[in-house]
This record gives sequence, structure tokens and C-alpha cells, in this order.
Amino acid sequence: MVEAVLAVAGEPVTLDALQAVAGPEVERSRLEEAVELVRQRHEQEGSGLHLEHVAGGWRLATRPQHEGALREYLGYRARARLSQAALETLAIVAYRQPITLPEINYLRGVNSAGVVRTLLDRKLVVVAGRKQVVGTPLLYRTSKEFLIHFGLSDLSALPTPEEVEQVAGEGPSEP
Amino acid sequence: MDPDPLTPEQPQRPSVVLAVFEGPLDLLLHLVREEKVSIWDIPIVKICDQYHEAIRAMEELDLELAGEYLVYAAWLLLIKSRMLLPRHEGEQKDPRQELVERLIEYEKVKRAAAELGGLAELRRGVEAVRFAAPAAPEDMELDLEDVDVMALARALREVLERHQREHPAVLELEPMRFSVQEKIIELFELVSRQRSFPLLSHLLTRPDRLESVTLLIAALELVRLRTADAHQRQPFAEIYLTPTGAPLPMDALADV
Repeated sequence: MVEAVLAVAGEPVTLDALQAVAGPEVERSRLEEAVELVRQRHEQEGSGLHLEHVAGGWRLATRPQHEGALREYLGYRARARLSQAALETLAIVAYRQPITLPEINYLRGVNSAGVVRTLLDRKLVVVAGRKQVVGTPLLYRTSKEFLIHFGLSDLSALPTPEEVEQVAGEGPSEP
Repeated sequence: MDPDPLTPEQPQRPSVVLAVFEGPLDLLLHLVREEKVSIWDIPIVKICDQYHEAIRAMEELDLELAGEYLVYAAWLLLIKSRMLLPRHEGEQKDPRQELVERLIEYEKVKRAAAELGGLAELRRGVEAVRFAAPAAPEDMELDLEDVDVMALARALREVLERHQREHPAVLELEPMRFSVQEKIIELFELVSRQRSFPLLSHLLTRPDRLESVTLLIAALELVRLRTADAHQRQPFAEIYLTPTGAPLPMDALADV
């Protein structure tokens, strides 16, 4: 049952959602076991799919090593990488959310209105109300799509600032 | 970010600089790192000069970007001049401190951005699996997590625009229910009879707005035709019409 639901979902399915399907009489631990079984099966059989834990749920997805094959078959070009400006802005929103545009501009030293709009269009950030200061600027936060895009189960899965510092110390930060 | 292919004869250097640096903080960070000095002890005179040199190379650039670079150019000059002034002990903090703090914060942002870029790179080719099951209407329910204020605002605008397209505003022309000519004659008789006629009070007693407007025009016509004088003691006070004694030129009414 679990695998069937995951197969038609096309998006992360939470345990709560699975519980709703299974009914209250099914124990939570059994659901968790079922999910784990599905996950393991895809790991073991050399499957082209895997079950990933993103955005607070479980999602059946293709494996990254088949990117070339998928591109070839679907006939699309490589998905546009996020620009440096977009990544910087996204990093600021991710680590300081909710945050306003003036605050983003201050941290980057450049006007980032266009970048924020692009991120809104790509649904990587969403509006999270207004800050109660002069001008009541919009507050932004990262979206569920953001977690999926970067393969994070939730925001706490983001590398901590300390971890980021360590990684930066090991290799060249400039591409 | 790519150099415009239509104008290859343009000097290459500015566009290269633009492509490499994300802004003044990025450029400054690069200059400081090139010097291989501690960020807490920036040789401000040298960095300031190098920064201005880079700015000059970027002079013919996109104005908005250049503007932000210029703000930092001015700030660097300010810091440089403060550094040259003798500092009284314990009175001031290092003039470079705020700049340094912002550079450090920005460097953290850059590292986090690189980290995110790496994560995204690992996930190229990861696509959601979804067997094409026919969606029941219940499945179409909106996931509220995916709906943000912007999406709502956009939806509202679309609905309003569609509504306007499908229901173009109709300009309704009401038939002329009152004629200015008739009202001129009516008013002339009232004014002639009363000697001093309170126009505003009369207008306000009319039940129909259109009639009031027509009457007002008629009153103006009476004055223009020199058959009545208008008096008002002070702004917003009652307007009195008094007859001048001249008869109503009936032939002039045709032109009204």
C-alpha cells in the first residue's frame, strides 16, 4: 500500500498522510517499517529509483546518476543552474528567515529585488507576511520546493554555519 | 551576465569584471584576499586605491550596479580619511570595523551559497516519480503550503482581468431628461417673480441630481445673457440671483 501511494503521489508524502490512508487502527511503527522496507528494496536491487526523505515526507525519485539518460529521453536541456546571485540570496533567506528585502540588500551590498522575484517565480521562496516596521516590508522564507530542490528533509538539515566554515576551509570557494 | 553578442567591439574588461563579482562587497573581499592579510587589519589605503582602480575599469557600466559600487567607493574614502586623522585614545572604534563586519558576514553568505550550490549539484537528475494515475477531483485540492501571498494576488488579478475582458464596461448614456433651455425659462420666471432668488437652497431641494446640474447651468446662462446678477457674500454662502430687468433673449436660447 505504502509504495503504491508513493508511486502516484509525485511529491513528498508525510507519515501523517500515510496514516490517514491506512486508518487509525494501523500502528505508526508499522507504517514506518513499511516505508523503510520500500526504501531498502530500492537501495538493494540496483533500482533506478530511490526513496528520499525530503520536505518532511517521503518521495520516490529518480537517481541522480541517470540524469544524462533522462535528458536524452525527455529531450530537454540541462536544468538551468541557479546563478551565484540567486544562491547567495537563497542562502541569506535560508539561514535568516523570515527576512525582508532591505535586509537582504544590506547583507549582499547590492539591490536584490530582481533576484528575489526570480526565486519567487521558481517557488523557492515564499512570502511570509510583513515585518512590523516602518514601511511594513514583505518577509520572505524558503518554501517546500526549496527543501525538495536541495534534498533537505527539513530546515534543520541545512548544514550549520560551523559546518559551512569547515567545508570552506578545505577547498577553494571560487568556482 | 554574458557579454552582449551584438556589440563585440565593446571593451571586454568591464563585462568580465561584472561577471566575476556579485557586488561591491564581493569585489572588496576579493581585493582583501588577494593581499593575503587578516581581514581585521585591512591596509585600507591600498585597498581603497585598488578598489577605485577597479571602479574606473567598470565606468561605462550598467548604472544601477555602478551606483552601488560608488556608494562603497565613497565609504572607503571616508574610512581612509578617518584612518589618517589622529585618534584619541578610547574615544573611537576602528573606522574599519563596520566594513570588516560586513565583509565577514558577506563571506559567510558566499560560503553558504557555495554549499547550497553543491547540494543542488548533487541532485541534478533527481526527478519525482509519478505514475500517471487519474486524479480524482478530491486530489486536486490545493496544498496550502504551495500557495503564497504572491500566488493569491496573481490569481486575483487574473480573475479581475478576465472579468473585465468578459464584461467590458458599458458606457450607459441616459436620455437627457432635462433641457437647459426649459430650465433657463423656468429659472428666469422664478427670479423675475422673487427679485432675490436663493439659488443654492433651490438646487438642494431638487430630488434629482441631474436636475440640479441642469439648473446650475441654466443659472450660469442667465448671468451670461445678462438677464440676472449673481451675488454671494462669502465663499460657500447662499448665491442670490436678482433680475437685471433685461428680457430673456429668446433667439439666444437656441444656441445654448
